[in-house]
Amino acid sequence: MQLIEKLTVLADAAKYDASCASSGAPNRSSKGKSGIGSTNGMGICHSFTPDGRCVALLKILLTNFCLYDCQYCVNRRSSDVPRARFTPEEVVTLTLDFYKRNCISGLFLSSGIIRSADYTMEQLVRVAKLLREEHEFRGYIHLKTIPDADPLLIAEAGRYADRLSVNIELPTESSLIRLAPEKQVRTIKQAMHSIHQGESEARAELRAPRFAPAGQSTQMIIGADATDDSTILHTAASLYGNYRLRRVYYSAFSPIPQSPNTVPFEAPPLLREHRLYQADFLLRGYGFEVGELLSGPGNLALDIDPKLAWALNNREHFPVDLNRAEPAMIARVPGIGVLSAKRLVALRRQKRIRFEDLTRLRCALEKAKPFIVTQDYRPLQASRESLLLRQQLSETPAQMALW
Amino acid sequence: MHSAPFDGSFAGWREVARRLIQQGVPPHQITWLTDDDSGGLFDHVPAPNNAPAATPPLRIPRQLLELLQSAARFRVEDRWSLLYRILWRVAQGDRAAMLPGDIDGSQLHKRLKAIRREAHHLHAFLRFHPRPENAEGPQLVAWHEPAHDILASASGHFAERLGRTTWLIATPDDGVYWDGQRLHYQRPCPSEWQRLAQAPEDTGEALWLAYYGSTFNPARLNRSALETSMPVRFWKNLPEGPLIPQLMSQARAGAQRDGQAEAVSRQGGKRIRRTSAPQQAVSGSADPDLLR
Repeated sequence: MQLIEKLTVLADAAKYDASCASSGAPNRSSKGKSGIGSTNGMGICHSFTPDGRCVALLKILLTNFCLYDCQYCVNRRSSDVPRARFTPEEVVTLTLDFYKRNCISGLFLSSGIIRSADYTMEQLVRVAKLLREEHEFRGYIHLKTIPDADPLLIAEAGRYADRLSVNIELPTESSLIRLAPEKQVRTIKQAMHSIHQGESEARAELRAPRFAPAGQSTQMIIGADATDDSTILHTAASLYGNYRLRRVYYSAFSPIPQSPNTVPFEAPPLLREHRLYQADFLLRGYGFEVGELLSGPGNLALDIDPKLAWALNNREHFPVDLNRAEPAMIARVPGIGVLSAKRLVALRRQKRIRFEDLTRLRCALEKAKPFIVTQDYRPLQASRESLLLRQQLSETPAQMALW
Repeated sequence: MHSAPFDGSFAGWREVARRLIQQGVPPHQITWLTDDDSGGLFDHVPAPNNAPAATPPLRIPRQLLELLQSAARFRVEDRWSLLYRILWRVAQGDRAAMLPGDIDGSQLHKRLKAIRREAHHLHAFLRFHPRPENAEGPQLVAWHEPAHDILASASGHFAERLGRTTWLIATPDDGVYWDGQRLHYQRPCPSEWQRLAQAPEDTGEALWLAYYGSTFNPARLNRSALETSMPVRFWKNLPEGPLIPQLMSQARAGAQRDGQAEAVSRQGGKRIRRTSAPQQAVSGSADPDLLR
């Protein structure tokens, strides 16, 4: 099989992993050195495909041969897809070639499970080691971690990789048992724990060898089972808390060829994935708790964003006077982000905030208007009922999908 | 009306601006003239001779100078008068002029944001083409068309990225060459550089194009997200640019049902036979990996 054919198959097999982040790595430079590659903490998206997703890394599987039969996965052993396998050297060649062309900032390597978890992990580590040691590659490396692999292999992976990730795959244990019979929550969490420990040890000692400086992430598939958003967000929050994950990715289940009957034939609305990302962002960056966004079981609203939904349910906190309120409270106003909140606080040291200042800061005024007070503005809608406001502010219903 | 001629560089502007502030010339009285502009009909040559020696030294926050220098890279008709107006206001003690919420400050920050974005576009969407191994000159060449004057300040990134590899970037206005140790910046761009960068003898793009087509998920077609993140003006210089419309129309023509790339679905598949119970298969000797 030609290299280009392998690449076609193994890139197609890897695309269901949503993460393509190349951020969070320490400062590394090749200026004046042999070898190539640099990282500076900021990720770079080198291209975007027509699905709107970014291409920052060469995201491929080492092989899509797999012993597992996870129902949602295109590479499950019962799936009728073309199979291929790269040699470690081929992955190295592709990475360096694309990197020199400035098409990518690094490599995201994953693999189907072949022979055993340890063997598969060894193969992944070998590629990273080749890149780092033989080719002095200083770009970004993200390695997928195989849950049942030996902790020693995970430790070795952490020395070469910037980021490690173990996919939790499904939000509940019962779904995992039903759809991914060979995977176990226990071993997935063990692997997360090993990575977390590696990170803590590297941080604790100044001279300790580095360990996955860009941390670990995971991915949950949305809509392959019936789990609601509340459960999903609680699972995410506990992962953030227990293992200090940098990111939880939500990947709307994408129908696969020859889909088995155990998973749906339809994709969930992409908007659901979007709302989960918005809620996740509120958990990580705005100090919201899951319970504030969803008080009981159920899904996030699709027609309005989760921050607006929270504000409509908690009208007693509004309107917020932008000239007096705490910065954290300003950031909770729909349509005003953390950055705008900071800028407003800086500006109000110089002058009283007026309504036109918000226009200049490019806040989403239609959303913010009912919830704020400025020097020269009080909302007429302050007394209006939440239900009416919601009708007014909800995004126009999307056209039904054709397929 | 005061005409203020200078060489078009930030350093040149800064010298003249300092003098005008010390002379107390307010912003609305100044017309900035760079070397390429001819003067207005009623301009008269300014009289710097009566610069009062007694004026106190100008005290300007260092951070403001950095902001102004960066904003000066923004290409716009009359890019200098906003900068002088802000400098003037801050010199008078009105520091709000620097803030994003201010009427002038918001313009300044809009320009700063555009400059940062354009530098990021350079880092992201520039594509190098390797040249034949035995060719003289740079090993990698690239042609790029930035919307603002960011090449000089933003191209150092590639020296960090590519180590001792030599490379050349040419644009319609300026160019930069890294010889493995030092950056050589030229404005205007030498025509030899432009020729090298615009006609690369590169035959190795097929792999990248194959990757781009395969990593795209046709079941999630989202044109507007693509265009917001990767402005259409860059497509013509990207090797994958011509592929974009093609992939979009294929996706619309029916492939939206599942995520598989057409190039993969055309091929025959292979189910993996489980030779033993799953527990043993994971740790045991089942060897599907022998199939290459």
